[in-house]
Amino acid sequence: MDYVEQRMAQEAVRPGEGSDSLFTPLNLLLASLFLYTAYSFFKPAPAAVIPKEEPAIVFKTFTPRTLLPFNGENDAPVYLAVRGRVFDVSRGRNFYGPGGPYANFAGRDASRGLACGSFDEDMLTKDLDGPLDTLSDLDGEQLGALQGWEERFSDKYLVVGKLVPVSEAA
Amino acid sequence: MGFDNLMLKLDESVTGLFGQWNIYSSVIVTLFAGLLTYQLATRTDPDTHPFLLARQAQASPVRNEGESPVYRSQASPHGMPLNAGLNVKDPGASKWAKGRDGDLRDIWRQAVAGVQDDGPNKGATGRLLTVLGTENVTEHRLDDVTRQINLIGQHILDQGGNRVAIYLPNSVELVVTLFACAFYNLTAVILPFNQSDEAVISMLRRSAADTVVTAPGSFPFDHVVKSYPALRQLIWVVDEGSKHMDWNEVPQGTGSSVNVSTWQDIVSDYPVDAGKELPSMEGQKEPRDVTIFWQSRPGTTEEMVRFTSANLIAGVSAQVFAIPTSQRIGPSDLFLPADSLANTHTLVLTLAALYSNASVAFNSVGSEADDLAIATRGITPTILVATPAALLKTHQEMGNTVASSFVARNIHWLQTRTLTQGVMPAASFLTSYYDRFRPAIGTKPGKLRLIFTAERVGADTARLSSQILSDLRVYTGARVIYALTAAKVAGAVAQTGFYDYRIFDDQVSHFGAPVTSAEVLLRDTSAQKNGDGDSRGEIIVRGPSVAGNEAALGVEGVVRDDNTLAYV
Repeated sequence: MDYVEQRMAQEAVRPGEGSDSLFTPLNLLLASLFLYTAYSFFKPAPAAVIPKEEPAIVFKTFTPRTLLPFNGENDAPVYLAVRGRVFDVSRGRNFYGPGGPYANFAGRDASRGLACGSFDEDMLTKDLDGPLDTLSDLDGEQLGALQGWEERFSDKYLVVGKLVPVSEAA
Repeated sequence: MGFDNLMLKLDESVTGLFGQWNIYSSVIVTLFAGLLTYQLATRTDPDTHPFLLARQAQASPVRNEGESPVYRSQASPHGMPLNAGLNVKDPGASKWAKGRDGDLRDIWRQAVAGVQDDGPNKGATGRLLTVLGTENVTEHRLDDVTRQINLIGQHILDQGGNRVAIYLPNSVELVVTLFACAFYNLTAVILPFNQSDEAVISMLRRSAADTVVTAPGSFPFDHVVKSYPALRQLIWVVDEGSKHMDWNEVPQGTGSSVNVSTWQDIVSDYPVDAGKELPSMEGQKEPRDVTIFWQSRPGTTEEMVRFTSANLIAGVSAQVFAIPTSQRIGPSDLFLPADSLANTHTLVLTLAALYSNASVAFNSVGSEADDLAIATRGITPTILVATPAALLKTHQEMGNTVASSFVARNIHWLQTRTLTQGVMPAASFLTSYYDRFRPAIGTKPGKLRLIFTAERVGADTARLSSQILSDLRVYTGARVIYALTAAKVAGAVAQTGFYDYRIFDDQVSHFGAPVTSAEVLLRDTSAQKNGDGDSRGEIIVRGPSVAGNEAALGVEGVVRDDNTLAYV
């Protein structure tokens, strides 16, 4: 407190130094503070931007051969075909991707396997250049199961193409 | 001791700095405090979240080769059906019952029945007004209009009419004839008004009309009777001043194959009580089509388009649902179409206003008004449909007045800034200086809240940039919705959002997202090709409001980063 009293007495004795000009350092400091605040309030704010959506997948016509690479290896998306429609099942990579329990279906026509409820190799069409599996020897129960699977796939996954045999691909 | 000296020096320098305090410092600090207080007091949240404006349409996840993804409004996402109907419920049905799509007859029934929702407005109906000249505003009572609908429809039907051509300026009679055709199963053909004789005859021939409802003075009766023998019936809509003349005369040599009558005669021939009840809903037949003529550039032939009732209803439904619920058209609004009702977009908006129980005003001058002040004389509309040419003219006039005054220029800048931040500028003390410059729209300027305007594809309409739209919002104090309309689409293809006030550096403003009754895709043309994430090409529209379900607009468009549609 002594120090404060001493300083106050000192300042009171000192003759006034205040200048009456606009351009004192204090005024310039206050003015620049004011102008900067005004600038930051009134400068035009850029419009909000959100990242663009992912580009749409192009609907393609696949043959059994061209569908084969899409089995999830080398970061490829995972596709499988059910009754001529190709579904993008990359979201189910754990099931249909490499190392998954249903990996046999990836990049292939899975119709027979889904109808019969089997993931064996002999459910897949062997001849990739031949006609597609007509599923004509399946009974009503298996066709019903296939219908159910197809509906679940339609709800859950995106249709990104159609599957045609090599003979029909132009 | 060194530290003490340092502190002493610091103390002395700070005191020295603030010792320079003088009157100017006080002034600057006061201004600063004023700025902070102003910003705090006037801070408002934007009308809608900026992220909603940053992506306004939803692209389909899969696209075909050579086409862009299909774009739809966020309100009718992929996987859901497009907005196709009005969800009309029969009176007495539960609020949660599933309604049916409805047709033109339901629009008039709703207009007469009043607001159905429980609430302060229940039972409120709008009024139908006709503006004559500058001061005269006549009101038509709703049951009187219903009577006219019944009597006119019955008369045309009795005389064997089938296809009714309507060649009238904006008037109650136009709407009455349209509803009469809907209730009495006649096909309506709406002709654009004030065309040359050859154009009228050509349109009558192409539409195979056998009845014409028109006003004397603009219809080349003699010429038509000679060149178009299929005409069977003619109804004159005569105004007050000419009622004393005998309009039932048929010129010599026509063989009197044309049955001529006047509107007033038909309506007054029957007792006052006749025709008060609309035909009942049971046993009513399928609604008939409405044919309209789309005018492209003056000088080219008009394009004839047949809209089914479903097309029109889908268009009406899209317009009703385009506006947020809190701002919807209601019984307290006065709707004025300052653009010809032969334009599908204006017609659809008028039907939407009638369905929403708003008051609707008709001004026969309004068909070709290039000047909003003329079109809105005598009334105070709250919702206006204007042509881009009229708006451009208002903008130019007002722009000159504002540019000449320093204060007005700065207030305009301040209000534009408020707009770009997403807030509609409200009237305040600051803007009251600006009010004297406002364009004279209506008797009490300042009540206008919404302006619809449309770019017509292929018709060389004046183009409005987003800067002009924003200036119009500031000048009129109303929101502006800019729509893209085309011949084969009832209503609009796409329109800017209700709360979208953004300004871009462009020649023509973007058109916003597609409406809820249509989806848009772009097909490759020779000049514009689609790429991954880059959609451009010829605009193709699909949906329940498109005649023939799919139409190519013949113009090239691009989808911008915020998924809005724009011309290339």
